[in-house]
Amino acid sequence: MSSANPGLSYDDAPPFSVPLRYFLTAPLFGIAAGALLLIDGNALGSRWSPAALGAVHLVATGIMLQVMLGALMQILPVVAGATLLTPLRTARLTHPLLAGGSVGLSWGLWQGHPGATLAGAALLAAGLIIFLLAAALAFRRAPSARGRSDTPRDLRLALIGLLVTAALGVILATTLARGLSLPIDLPALVNLHAGWAWMGWGAMLVAATSWVIVPMFQITPAYPQRLTRIWAPSVLILLALWSMAAIASLHGIGIALAGLLCALAIGFGATTLRLQARSRRSTPDASFLAFRLAMASIIAGAVAILASLVTEADALPLLAGILILHGGFVGAISAMLYKIVPFLAWLHLTQARIKAPNVKKLSPDLPVRRQLITHAAALALLLGSVFLPLLSYAAGAAIMLEFGWLLGNLARIVLAWQKAGGRWNPAAAAEGKKYV
Amino acid sequence: MSLISSLMTQDHRDCDHEFALAESLVARRDWDAAAKAVNAFAAALEMHFSAEEEQLFPRFEAVTGMTHGPTEVMRGEHADMRSIIANLKDALARRDADDFAGEAETLLIMMQQHNMKEENILYPMCDARLATERDALTEALGQRITRKMPA
Repeated sequence: MSSANPGLSYDDAPPFSVPLRYFLTAPLFGIAAGALLLIDGNALGSRWSPAALGAVHLVATGIMLQVMLGALMQILPVVAGATLLTPLRTARLTHPLLAGGSVGLSWGLWQGHPGATLAGAALLAAGLIIFLLAAALAFRRAPSARGRSDTPRDLRLALIGLLVTAALGVILATTLARGLSLPIDLPALVNLHAGWAWMGWGAMLVAATSWVIVPMFQITPAYPQRLTRIWAPSVLILLALWSMAAIASLHGIGIALAGLLCALAIGFGATTLRLQARSRRSTPDASFLAFRLAMASIIAGAVAILASLVTEADALPLLAGILILHGGFVGAISAMLYKIVPFLAWLHLTQARIKAPNVKKLSPDLPVRRQLITHAAALALLLGSVFLPLLSYAAGAAIMLEFGWLLGNLARIVLAWQKAGGRWNPAAAAEGKKYV
Repeated sequence: MSLISSLMTQDHRDCDHEFALAESLVARRDWDAAAKAVNAFAAALEMHFSAEEEQLFPRFEAVTGMTHGPTEVMRGEHADMRSIIANLKDALARRDADDFAGEAETLLIMMQQHNMKEENILYPMCDARLATERDALTEALGQRITRKMPA
């Protein structure tokens, strides 16, 4: 590949197994999070309970991180011309590090084992550094000509947010295990870590992809350019200022800045819902509805955080965490998986010159709809268990069912791909065409 | 100053709207109107593809010397989309709404990931590398896809 056209040959197409390993691992962590709620009935008693900390990290690093990195490997070449040099090698290195790190971190937090927590954080950091270096190299090789979309810039910003989140996480784990002395008290540092994870990484990545995904795949009007131009940089600046206010113990200013971050989250969610209401597609499928539920959850979660800034109610941070993590991120991720996995199966068959069944034959609507209804029911049970702790057992069972079903639905697509002639050996696929 | 990317991106959106209309009419089982809408969409898409393959891509290839680069990939994806369009028309002829919906969903994802590459990578490269002939080329492309230009 000449340096004059970096990232444009599209010939470094990752084999199907590259993103798939991340996508199929994520539901296993979801099942583990549900099991944790089933085993430890007090998990949702407080945001600081060991089981809640364990469950949050099973979701954040076991589900969100896995799926987002797998999806980025597919999306970066398409929206930014940034193709990872060696996607298979990157996946082989990062995937076990991330999976092992998630297990160690979550186990350590749940069981109060600082050594396991630190080991988990170190593994996660190692996996992330490898991925971020590969992504940074890919961006450097990407063409310099810029399109009108703010997505490539905001994807980079989301990776910066992820890096800050991870750095704060490693500092926290080291503090717990080795007793670092910090210029800030531990709960405040935890809030910074959570704030960067929520807005700097998760919401930033969802927004960056939504700028193109929502208008193009749901055939809606475009996001207003005045929003997409300033949204992500504003989030990053506000997060930086909010962090400085926390370190300087400027509580009033910190609350005002956190309030502005909530307003940005609400603005993004509300704009997306408004655009989706104007979709030209007349037959909304379950994924579309699940994505709308995710946006509503993001808004409700931000409202709960706003309320928690001015009142002391213990339930509010828990409600916010459930709405944002499960309702928002897990919902959006599930909706996305049901679009991306069948399409990749179709694409890899087509590129191998095999007549591919269409995406709805690879992934029929009915089981998808039922699984997403289970997701909505699990969200309702989780929210209910904040007020009725006994419900947390039912919530745990519902979450196990939700992710078991998700795994089953994804496995069904892979089996259909194999039945149609799909092969794992990338060398065989190399004989065919390569686009993505 | 006209931009190739503005014109061609707008044409993508216009094709999307024709697609959505066809999809809605099939979902409502309004077969006669659906047949017209599918044909109109297929014609619009074909006009877009041929404008690229016969006018835009050859100029890009001539100026950059890249004949096995992004334009080759785009031509390959056009061929795949033409094949799905044939499946769509087949499902329509059989009045099989479920099969049509599956083919339409496949086409939409294929089409949009293709459009993303063009809009984010190839068109900006065309605007940059074909700077000296950009205005004339944009006008010629605009005339080719004139059915969607405002009267």
